Amino acid sequence: MTETFRQKGTLPPGFLVPVRDGETDEFFVNLGPQHPATHGALRLVVRLDGETVREVVPHMGYIHRGIEYQAERCSALQSILFSDRFDYLTAHMNNHCVCMAIERALGIGVPERGEYVRVIVDELTRVSSHLIFLGSFGTDLGGTTCFLYAFKMREAITQVFDELCGARLTMNFYRPGGSSADVPESFEGSVRNAVKTVREGMKEWNDFLTGNVIFQERTRGVGILSAERAIALGCSGPVLRGSGVEFDVRRKNPYGIYDRFDFDVPVGSVGDVWDRYMVRVEEIEQSLRIVEQALASFPAGPWRSKERVSWRLPEGSWYAEAETAKGTLGVFLEGTGKSDRPWRIKVRSPSFSNLMALDEMCRGGKVADVVACLGSIDPVIPEVDR
Amino acid sequence: MNALIDLSANNAVGDFVRDVLFPNSPALAWAANGLLGVAALLLFPVFLGAPFLIWMERKVCAHMQARLGPMRHGPHGAVQTIADVVKLVFKEIAPPGGVDRLVYLLAPGIPLTASFLVLAVVPWGANLQVADPEQGVFYVVAVGALGLLGFLVGAWASNNKFALLGAMRAGAQMLSYEISLSVLLLLVMLLSGESSLREIVLSQRGTVLDWWVFKAPVVGPLAFVLYLVSSTAELNRGPFDLIEAEQELTAGYQTEYSGMGFSMFYLAEYVNMTIQAALVSTFFLGGFLPPLVGIAPVDAALAAVPGVVWMVAKTLAIVFVYMWFRWSFPRPRVDQLLALEWKTLLPANLAVFALGMLALAMGWILP
Amino acid sequence: MGLMESVPKVLDPIPGGKRLSDAVEYVVNWARSRSIWPLTFGTSCCAIEMMAASMARYDISRFGSEVFRASPRQADLFIVAGTIVDKMAEPLVRLYEQIPGPKWVIAMGSCTVSGGPFYYDNYSVVKGVDRLIPVDVFVPGCPPRPEALLKGLVELQELIRKSHPLRSPEHGRLAADAPVEDRWTKAKQAWEELERIKDEQMAEARAKFAAEHPDYRPPKPARKEKPAFPETPRAARPAPGLPFDEVVAAVRGRFPGLALFGAAPSEAEPDRVPAFEVPCDALAETALWLKEGPLAMDYPVFLTAVDRLDRFELVVRAMNSSTAQQVELRVPVEKRFAEGAAYDPAAKNQKYDAVAPSLCGVWPGMGWHERETWDLMGIRFEGNPDLRRIFLKDDFPGHPLRKDFDMPERVVPRPA
Repeated sequence: MTETFRQKGTLPPGFLVPVRDGETDEFFVNLGPQHPATHGALRLVVRLDGETVREVVPHMGYIHRGIEYQAERCSALQSILFSDRFDYLTAHMNNHCVCMAIERALGIGVPERGEYVRVIVDELTRVSSHLIFLGSFGTDLGGTTCFLYAFKMREAITQVFDELCGARLTMNFYRPGGSSADVPESFEGSVRNAVKTVREGMKEWNDFLTGNVIFQERTRGVGILSAERAIALGCSGPVLRGSGVEFDVRRKNPYGIYDRFDFDVPVGSVGDVWDRYMVRVEEIEQSLRIVEQALASFPAGPWRSKERVSWRLPEGSWYAEAETAKGTLGVFLEGTGKSDRPWRIKVRSPSFSNLMALDEMCRGGKVADVVACLGSIDPVIPEVDR
Repeated sequence: MNALIDLSANNAVGDFVRDVLFPNSPALAWAANGLLGVAALLLFPVFLGAPFLIWMERKVCAHMQARLGPMRHGPHGAVQTIADVVKLVFKEIAPPGGVDRLVYLLAPGIPLTASFLVLAVVPWGANLQVADPEQGVFYVVAVGALGLLGFLVGAWASNNKFALLGAMRAGAQMLSYEISLSVLLLLVMLLSGESSLREIVLSQRGTVLDWWVFKAPVVGPLAFVLYLVSSTAELNRGPFDLIEAEQELTAGYQTEYSGMGFSMFYLAEYVNMTIQAALVSTFFLGGFLPPLVGIAPVDAALAAVPGVVWMVAKTLAIVFVYMWFRWSFPRPRVDQLLALEWKTLLPANLAVFALGMLALAMGWILP
Repeated sequence: MGLMESVPKVLDPIPGGKRLSDAVEYVVNWARSRSIWPLTFGTSCCAIEMMAASMARYDISRFGSEVFRASPRQADLFIVAGTIVDKMAEPLVRLYEQIPGPKWVIAMGSCTVSGGPFYYDNYSVVKGVDRLIPVDVFVPGCPPRPEALLKGLVELQELIRKSHPLRSPEHGRLAADAPVEDRWTKAKQAWEELERIKDEQMAEARAKFAAEHPDYRPPKPARKEKPAFPETPRAARPAPGLPFDEVVAAVRGRFPGLALFGAAPSEAEPDRVPAFEVPCDALAETALWLKEGPLAMDYPVFLTAVDRLDRFELVVRAMNSSTAQQVELRVPVEKRFAEGAAYDPAAKNQKYDAVAPSLCGVWPGMGWHERETWDLMGIRFEGNPDLRRIFLKDDFPGHPLRKDFDMPERVVPRPA
């Protein structure tokens, strides 16, 4: 039953730590691809010594949809649709990033109102994605009720998106040069309502979970990732900031009109699960601040620039980056000058790079810590696999 | 069994039945007592209790989560769990390959059997008790621990690593918390000077202040709270439900069980919860005694209500607290759970026990 | 299913027993339809909507289905939420087989109904989950709203109530025994049949209408007037960190003669990042200098490759994590053919090898990017300790992002 690898003589694929001499009876437990803690179709093979984790090897590809292959056979505009589907929790931000790459290739600008819409909607998306993180993270630690409270807050934001583009998840709203439609009349009101709901909900949330002793015990000092390793592995977003590196694309390389807003970049100090959690909790508040500032100076006027007749991509390559809720999303686009289909489109997905740090975080912890660490990375598996 | 016919206690139902049926026959009354006890044992927890508790759990959980819970089937989903039970009975039992079939099929019965055996000594009313052994407390501890065997062999037989991890956790967890529970039971025995459950209840006669939770200042409330925490862990209920931690071990020891096997484990969980809640109310909340307040007319009204109603009410209140725990807290890690027992709860319990002895010696118990 | 099957065998011969077994069937159907416990299973977007359906606003628990079981042994309903790809197919079938009977399947979302947006030009996605397991209820949408899933659940309840588990046990079967029907083709044929009947029935009325109104033209659909939008030039800041020329000077100071790749920053694109064309054998040295030299490019952004038909081109991007200064390297990697063979622009699935040095030692974070490039492009990275396929199955034929990749048995080209 607990077939040790020594009987077979070899380690399963992916395990690099050599076999230790001694009598310890190591065995392998397979989490996934269908497992409640793996946030989708991810498979983790955990090398256990008793309940202590020695090594974790993620196996991906269970939701590899060949988006890059398919996008090479579609017009660059159509790839906005695919971008909805790799990280479906931050669909607006993915659209934004793809649009920025196309805008860069074709030299398209975005009018003032369009930029404001993008900022407001992007930040709401960030809040909504972080809320799902909070809910699923609480559930990962055994507090099922968390999910319900997080979703309750999130529904207020989903309502805004529903009014905005008729979709709750896969938005397909932005276009190069602006968006597919102007915001509805109810937009400002429902955004204010969402901000209010989330603010009040977060107070309740912090009483409910953040202050809980068991929760703090489970997260503090668990899954430590040092700043050097986080940088070396190419982690980004809350994982990198949780380790104490103040890196946020919105601040370091501001795109759109992010340089006009006053917001803080929260960072952690230890790099444990707790820090990554607190960075996200803080970021929710900062995003709400940005939304409020943007609403206060929300301009009227045209919401998109002149529509193109031809979307033929010139020859050359372009790379655009955006800070999504998961980290730095990059879209690398290469055109041939002959058609509107990209010759190569590559998505640098934050979850993919962040997931590399999982093994390092988990070593030496317990099985339950694997779940906490994976939850704190907050990967979206379709974005890892694309 | 002689102690069962104690007419001095509050026992309205028993008295009523005896008065109507056997006005002049103590022997028949004695037999009727036994029948009533068996009825209480079987009917209440199994056919009404457990489905009701499962329904209650789903409703409590839903309302704590700002939902409604089952609504469509029966008024407020009242027959929801009946449907669940019927469905589970008619569900295929498919033992996976490589299981030890005999043990695999037998194991789900063990926790349920252990629960029923414990149920036999729970005093639901002054005369609603199947058996009242002199060493009731020891019986509860000894037989109650048997349920663990079911988890262990069931998980071992099902040839699944998650189940095995869950069973190992169950073993470590339940054995550890057994100690805490036993220390607290000793304390109650010490204070009351009795080891029969019925006598322990009767030792709390008087007003509310005579219940053990209040009667011994400081010691009583502390012991009560510690008992609640330890028994939650002993029950493997959330937040201490590590043996079936869904996010880590999918379903823990019952991963490979389907249909009736699963529902027996599931049922045992709820019967166990009833028992623990009943024990809490027996030891600390005056069991079937009415909550007298010391004002004569009010007391008369309270005393007119049958003891079994009080017992069930108190039990349900404690069950509600268990559910409240479950849907509020995240789950600790397995090493933290054991550290909590060995480093915090057990020393605390021993300290409370010592304090109780001191209180008894110095006469700090309320009259 | 033994118990259920034996009920009519025992009861039917008894006088009036048929009615009794009908009553049993009614009760069992009632219980089964009222207590559908789904399996916790979701692969992508639809899973979020499935969760939303069990949350406070939609509350699937009203129908008694909030008991999501993580173990398939205790589940009744398999909600296939999210795209199913080739690698997932095998676990999916196994999960289905692990669910004890009676069991039902809801295919949620257009990906599971037919492949949805991933139907054409895709080598990976299974074109409809009913090609793998029998499906009872299809819920289309991308993703379906939670209301749609609830509707699907209610439909399923009706379906169960109308079923006859005693006399035709249709759900106890294992997937292995059940023939997988091509429901898509069946539905298409049924639809065409309906269309044909409709055309037949309408033919007379249409002819009559055409005779009565010979000049009739259907009205043009009203179009919303589009506002005119202004031409807006792209506004961008220069890339962060050192100015372009300084970076180029610094790199050329160490590696004289290193060619620049692509254009320098222009007015339309002031944020162009310096890119250098590095020969394959100098890559490791250049990367190490970039990381440890004065530019301190300590952060691996990404690594990928572009198929230039006659060769590959590696694209490596690194960044300085404190200034966000980025540098791009372009590395030509030759396609090595076997003796006597050469690149043929028309041939498909050509056999060749490509090797590049691994950058794992410089930037550990490039490890998985290299695995991805190996998997999808087929460039081997010498020195990567764990160079396995990352996304595709080990036995996948070829590397899909190569321009000569062809897989006619799975890829359906989008009709022009």
